[in-house]
Amino acid sequence: MPEMDLVPVWISLKTAALSTVITFFLGCAAARWLAGYQGKAKSLLDGLFTLPLVLPPTVLGFGLLLLFGKNGPLGKLLLKLGTTVIFSWWATVIAAVVVAFPLMYRTARGAFEQIEPNIENAARTLGASEWDIFWRVTLPLAWPGIMAGIILSFARSLGEFGATLMIAGNIPGRTQTIPLAIYFAVAAGDNDRALAWVAIIMLISMLSILALNYWQRYGKNYANH
Amino acid sequence: MLEVKIKKTFPGFKLTVAFAINQEILSLVGPSGSGKSLTLQCISGLMNPDEGYLQVNGKVLLDTAAGINVPPQKRKVGYVFQNYALFPHLTVFENIAFGLAAWERRKVVARVAYLLEKMRLSDYKDRYPHQLSGGQQQRVALARALAPEPEILLLDEPFSALDTQVRGELEREILALHQFYRGHIIFVSHNLDEAYRLGSQIAVYEAGQILQLGYKKKLINAPANQTVAKLTGTRNLVEGIIRNINGAKAEVMVPAWQEKLQVNMLHPEKYYPNQKVIIGIRPEYIRISNCFPESVSRPNGPGNRSIQAIHESPAQLLAAQVVEAVDGVTSYTYRLRLKNGSAQEFHLEADVSKLTAPWIPAGKTCYLHLPSERVFLITP
Repeated sequence: MPEMDLVPVWISLKTAALSTVITFFLGCAAARWLAGYQGKAKSLLDGLFTLPLVLPPTVLGFGLLLLFGKNGPLGKLLLKLGTTVIFSWWATVIAAVVVAFPLMYRTARGAFEQIEPNIENAARTLGASEWDIFWRVTLPLAWPGIMAGIILSFARSLGEFGATLMIAGNIPGRTQTIPLAIYFAVAAGDNDRALAWVAIIMLISMLSILALNYWQRYGKNYANH
Repeated sequence: MLEVKIKKTFPGFKLTVAFAINQEILSLVGPSGSGKSLTLQCISGLMNPDEGYLQVNGKVLLDTAAGINVPPQKRKVGYVFQNYALFPHLTVFENIAFGLAAWERRKVVARVAYLLEKMRLSDYKDRYPHQLSGGQQQRVALARALAPEPEILLLDEPFSALDTQVRGELEREILALHQFYRGHIIFVSHNLDEAYRLGSQIAVYEAGQILQLGYKKKLINAPANQTVAKLTGTRNLVEGIIRNINGAKAEVMVPAWQEKLQVNMLHPEKYYPNQKVIIGIRPEYIRISNCFPESVSRPNGPGNRSIQAIHESPAQLLAAQVVEAVDGVTSYTYRLRLKNGSAQEFHLEADVSKLTAPWIPAGKTCYLHLPSERVFLITP
């Protein structure tokens, strides 16, 4: 057993947790907005929101690099504010959000679409604001689906490698997550260390999947009643 | 006072309706897709009409010309949906209390308890909707809609998913509502009997328009046109020519039947001799006998039943042949060909109670009596 510096575990978990929170809000908002949007660009927008799921992460990483780099539109803006995200811990979060977003968006959309529209309409005639309806009706009813989205997003964020490497680099103690640590351990010929990391990430991922199964089996599924 | 004017256009469909009611039940009847539910959606604000005006007890809820459009949240409209649309994740108590979010807790408890008792749901307040029967779910939906004390109550085919017995019970529930709920009620149904029992006024819808609106007795007894007559269940409609008028009585010749009929007119001023008219009679109002009545000097054979009312107006007796006979639970349905009538498959349909009419198999001859006070006239 090699002597392990467990910092990558902490960075990975921190990144995946924050990314999941951000993805939850972005994914739900996008799903909710697109469900109500009746314009012509609907399927185009749906495609755009799903694209990160099918594109190679290196393409996403390169795109983010162009966006957040010194000459990119967002990079320039951040530079004016006196900061930069490239090669910082925030870059690992941004990469994780982009790759996890489609999973959250799609599961949330599926869950929202299963809700009978008249249930929300009833809430409207009973005086509930749109915000109230979302928190008191839509979210509780969509919860099993949303929960699945949250766990999938967490797992995907945890496993993110390609885009992270391109915009966050491999800075031990700052941006080195478990997948990066595995790659560089293998590259350095330290298979024992790589195997130890593999064991750890498999453990965390398995726990996530078990949690998901548990939720889907025992969580209350109101949408079917 | 509730005043409604709505115009809404979709590709291939146009809704144009206007009506006013005053703390009574208005039943909307008509075929599906005729715009009844859409009218409710526009009143509730869940759907925005292209043009419209909506006023309840002096408050304007919608006036497209003046740019007023109160959102559904602020309209004080109770809506009972066809499939209940209860909140499946909330208990009966929480469902009913949903619209009382701004109320004091103490008042909420009192209001919900009152409605639970009125709707006989007190024993179920902690149950979830899926643990209730269809009738109980519908009563929860009704209580939930009534809880915030709406000024308008909209009922969209509230009985369609229930079986017959529960239907009758809920109907009584809604009629009893009027004793403690003083508001305007609009009730959508495709069942005329239901609409008639519940409503004081009926609006007959077809293809996005109200063909006739009026107090139910008048509407049923004097439909404005053939379509309304058909939609309200008058299956026998035929062309005739007025021969004579004597006060409120008219003698009408029906060429297709080669018969003359006596008709009591509700609006004698609208008719004149030699006028072409449509005459109508509901199948339930035709009397039928399998022998010629005694008073007109034919012997009454054993097991034969004649028509008592014939004594009054023997002229109204028509000889016919049964083309088709259907045995129902409490009535017989006959399709009848008149002896002297034109070459049609059948001329009249009769739904007669087993109490008053004999069973006459197809092919047999029978005698019909169309009571003159039940036959009505329509100007074509």
